[in-house]
Amino acid sequence: MTRKQRRLTMIGGALVVLAIAAALVLNALRDSIVFFTTPAVAAEKQIPPGKRFRLGGLVEQGSLTRGDNLAVSFKVTDGTATLPVTYKGILPDLFREGQGIISEGALDASGVFRADTVLAKHDENYMPKEVAEALKKQGHWKDDYGAKPGTAK
Amino acid sequence: MIAEAGHYALVLALGLAIIQSIVPMLGARWRDAGLMNVARSSALAQFLFVALSFGALTMLHVTSDFSVVNVFENSHSLKPLIYKFTGVWGNHEGSMLLWVLILALFGAMVAAFGNNLPLSLRANVLAVQAWIAAAFYLFILATSNPFLRIASPPIEGRDLNPILQDIGLAIHPPMLYLGYVGFSISFSFAVAALIEGRIDAAWARWVRPWTLMAWIFLTLGIAMGSYWAYYELGWGGWWFWDPVENASLMPWLSGTALLHSAVVMEKRNALKVWTILLAIITFSLSLLGTFLVRSGVLTSVHTFASDPSRGVFILLILCFFIGGSLALYAWRAPALRQGGLFAPISREGALVLNNLFLTTACVTVLVGTLYPLGLEVLTGDKISVGAPFFNLTFGPLFVPLLIAVPFGPLLAWKRGDLLGAAQRLFAAGVAALIVVALVWAWAKGGAALAPLAIGLAVFVIVGAAVELIERIGLLRVPFRTAMHRAIGLPRSNWGTAFAHAGLGVALIGIVCETTWNSERIASLKQNDIVTVADYSVKLESLIQRQGPNYREQIAQFVVSRDGQQVGAMSPSKRNFATRGMSTTEAALLTRGASQLYISLGEAGADGAIAVRIYYKPLVLLIWLGPMLMAFGGLLSLSDRRLRVGAPKPAKASRDLQPAE
Amino acid sequence: MALWFVLGLMTALAAFAVLWPLSRGGRSSPSGSELVVYRDQLAEVDRDAAAGLIAAPDADAARVEIGRRMIAASEAAPETSSAVHLIARRAVAVVALAGLPALAAGLYLAFGSPLLGGFPLAERQRADVSTASLDRLVGQVEAHLEKNPADARGWEVLAPVLFKLGRYEDAAKAFRNVITFKGESASRHADLGEALSAAAGGVISADAKKEFERAVALDAQEVKSRYFLGVAAEQDGRVEEARRIWQAMLDGAPADAPWRPLVQAALSQAGGTVVQRNGAPGPTSEDIAAAKDLNETDRNAMVRGMVDRLSSRLKQDGNDVQGWLRLVRAYMVLGENDTARQAVSDAQRVFEKDEQRLRELNDGIKQLGIGG
Repeated sequence: MTRKQRRLTMIGGALVVLAIAAALVLNALRDSIVFFTTPAVAAEKQIPPGKRFRLGGLVEQGSLTRGDNLAVSFKVTDGTATLPVTYKGILPDLFREGQGIISEGALDASGVFRADTVLAKHDENYMPKEVAEALKKQGHWKDDYGAKPGTAK
Repeated sequence: MIAEAGHYALVLALGLAIIQSIVPMLGARWRDAGLMNVARSSALAQFLFVALSFGALTMLHVTSDFSVVNVFENSHSLKPLIYKFTGVWGNHEGSMLLWVLILALFGAMVAAFGNNLPLSLRANVLAVQAWIAAAFYLFILATSNPFLRIASPPIEGRDLNPILQDIGLAIHPPMLYLGYVGFSISFSFAVAALIEGRIDAAWARWVRPWTLMAWIFLTLGIAMGSYWAYYELGWGGWWFWDPVENASLMPWLSGTALLHSAVVMEKRNALKVWTILLAIITFSLSLLGTFLVRSGVLTSVHTFASDPSRGVFILLILCFFIGGSLALYAWRAPALRQGGLFAPISREGALVLNNLFLTTACVTVLVGTLYPLGLEVLTGDKISVGAPFFNLTFGPLFVPLLIAVPFGPLLAWKRGDLLGAAQRLFAAGVAALIVVALVWAWAKGGAALAPLAIGLAVFVIVGAAVELIERIGLLRVPFRTAMHRAIGLPRSNWGTAFAHAGLGVALIGIVCETTWNSERIASLKQNDIVTVADYSVKLESLIQRQGPNYREQIAQFVVSRDGQQVGAMSPSKRNFATRGMSTTEAALLTRGASQLYISLGEAGADGAIAVRIYYKPLVLLIWLGPMLMAFGGLLSLSDRRLRVGAPKPAKASRDLQPAE
Repeated sequence: MALWFVLGLMTALAAFAVLWPLSRGGRSSPSGSELVVYRDQLAEVDRDAAAGLIAAPDADAARVEIGRRMIAASEAAPETSSAVHLIARRAVAVVALAGLPALAAGLYLAFGSPLLGGFPLAERQRADVSTASLDRLVGQVEAHLEKNPADARGWEVLAPVLFKLGRYEDAAKAFRNVITFKGESASRHADLGEALSAAAGGVISADAKKEFERAVALDAQEVKSRYFLGVAAEQDGRVEEARRIWQAMLDGAPADAPWRPLVQAALSQAGGTVVQRNGAPGPTSEDIAAAKDLNETDRNAMVRGMVDRLSSRLKQDGNDVQGWLRLVRAYMVLGENDTARQAVSDAQRVFEKDEQRLRELNDGIKQLGIGG
């Protein structure tokens, strides 16, 4: 083989691997990407039951109830709409009412969000970015939200 | 006084870095040894001043001097002494200071031990290193200054984020930084070579020990970070494909590729242009990691602060260095001389394959990390790319790589014999098949993928052993001769074998943990018993205790198996009043390479407490693997062949004296 | 001063690091070259071949290739002779001696705070030593009294200190012990009553009232008890009686009685008309009314405000010996001995020319127990 042929072989091999990688990436992006929404957007978009998505918002005051065997249910709100969420398991250390959270899961047939992951904000300066921005867009921020639920500024 | 002296030392380091970034380069151009040697003394002095500065900040933290904003915000006088130390780099400003300290340390090491380098190359390398340093000193002074003061100091500090008050934090970020920043040396060598317009096999030999050193630290840093997340975050997970973790994985992947391509360049004078590019890319990914973590573009556990001005500043640094070096590369690389020839089936070919898969895997991680950012900027849609994405892309790419790993070292340079190599690997293949069958039988069917993956891991491990056996001719030549050869075998060969075996070991751990991990979540009262795997776990008592700066609730468990008590575990939940936060301290019980893991949840009103119990089979192998890899790297680093070209030790030590 | 010395030393060190290699003339320092590397590679091939680690033909091929590289390297090797670029060296020296310090000083002064001292924990604890030692002393005395509860003198010393520290109940106990072991007196009963009412949050409880009444029975002129009996009456809603008690006190009091302003204020607040006789300006009734609703810190702030008003008045018109003395006393009460001393010297300067008044001032100061 000449130098040129060898080089072509190598480049060809590289392109094949890259093509495979690109196919994998595109396939994975189609199947395993999870969108983020707030309750208001979820209601608007009419997300079908069973489709996984991430739900972000604040835990509504007084909505947390604990059932048997670590089952919990609460409501997530963005000030415009609320969505009931159920979860079974241990909530994160920082989970509180009035706190910003992100949960991942899917709606069931009755319109309840069944979460399999719940993330709370990680320190007092940190609110999950998506939640903070979504709330900001709707004119809410931590403090004024707590004081006047439901009033858009 | 201490704060101000530390501050001034940092300013002086900036001044020295600016001089060091210009003078030696001019010296190299005019071939003036005096000017070129300025690089050396100023690199050493620069390190001295940054070390003084870092020492001052440490002192301020240890003495709880709350007239310094950084100390006030991240310390507390009641904090245990060890966390006063670790708190120094447990925050944005301090960690950036650690970053430049390590940068200066590597510069000083090149200055002190780089006697085997041609004078002009050393001058240029140190000058490039000083550009990076100057940019980051400026960044620290302008946007993240740890020495800002409060005129009327508060009496008490705000305490370090409790999640970060852990011994794992004491070691893993410095390790990671040693890795990240260590790649700056390879980068400086690459840019210096491009500036000089000359690059050859000798260059690869000079740059290899530095790359290897950075790679060892990065490997250990990633492993420790993963272990830290495993036991401190209380979820039992050890890898989250978190952007911050990806930020450290990407330089590791391309750094590993760089290590391998540098071998080809050293031995065969080939792949020169590619190696230079890899060196640039590896450090660029380190910078990208710094940007992602420090700018607050991504939010995660590790992002201490988000401040747009910082983000913009780092972005500028990023653009300057990545853009500048790539432009230089585009301009100068075509002029570099061609290297040696080799057939596709050869040691070189195998290493090219390794590079191809490693860089492709690196690209998929990059896509997964940056795609959400890009999409949000373009369409405003917010998505999260989680573990499924990476498992679907990264996994398939690693399989062919792992299959190829044992072949590489068995192929000859220039033109290899694939069939011969395959024959020699016959034993490894058989071993792998037996293991697949055994595991499949033990797991009674179940997932087909897990036994296959374990078989692959065994293939890699046995393949590494086969390579050693082949090399010393064990079973072919008399035993004595074989032992004699084993002693004479270069340590880098041993290193290769260990590192490759480590890969297989880690794979076994990963597969076992993800496939046969058992988990129980329950709400327990006193004397309740739960069974996980073959272990029964009994809640003995719940007690409250006051720690130095927290209160904790401890649950005491007794673990038994087949009626025999095997140990006690006491996980706890700590409540830090200063920050109004609590952390979960998981308890671990090690049984061989497997672990029992208990973490606590909320305590209910009825005296019951939520408990999460895991049994993680062979989980420790996940971290044992990287440790083996790092050990292999160390063996390789200690190989005398990497040190050749250096003046004799006696002479070197005499010459080093005046530099003090 | 030490700071500037350290900073200067560091600057000198930094400049030296740049200058030092320049001074070493053309002497070439140790440096490697590619040839050395290739020579090592050759030796390595020989070693591996001898150990049987690589086959002979492979070793030969490697030797040939390395040899080719050596030839290429020696052809391309740059001249090793070193030039001395004098102008550049001088320029660099100037930069090191002038540019570096200027840059460092400029940046440092922009970001740093050279005038702020350190404030480590250890220092902060030392700063608290005056109060800490008071606590320790009290502790010692209390421990002593625990063993010798009949030491009346000890109780007498301790009681007012406890009262000042705000430990009213302990103070009441101590005052009671003084009475038990040293016998009763009007002022002791009055102090006990005061402590009791302070412990009750300012309310004149029945116990406290009993003590005040006992004090007055022992000495009808005892000022404190009379005043507090007035307060008690007022608290009980017998405002008329309170006014009568206070008015009687004022009527029978000497003009310069230090307690006059207080009683006057109380009286005027209770609606009585104060007969102003040579009245030193005290707090207005509004001030007092405000003070009643204030907590400790705010009350201190209010006292502060009054003191400041007095001080600024004296600065404008300093011809008032009593005013100065009041100011000095006020500062001492606030625990600011240095300021008090400063006020003393200010006052002495004002009366430098007026011998008689100066003597008056100095006598007053001596009584206050502070050296001029």
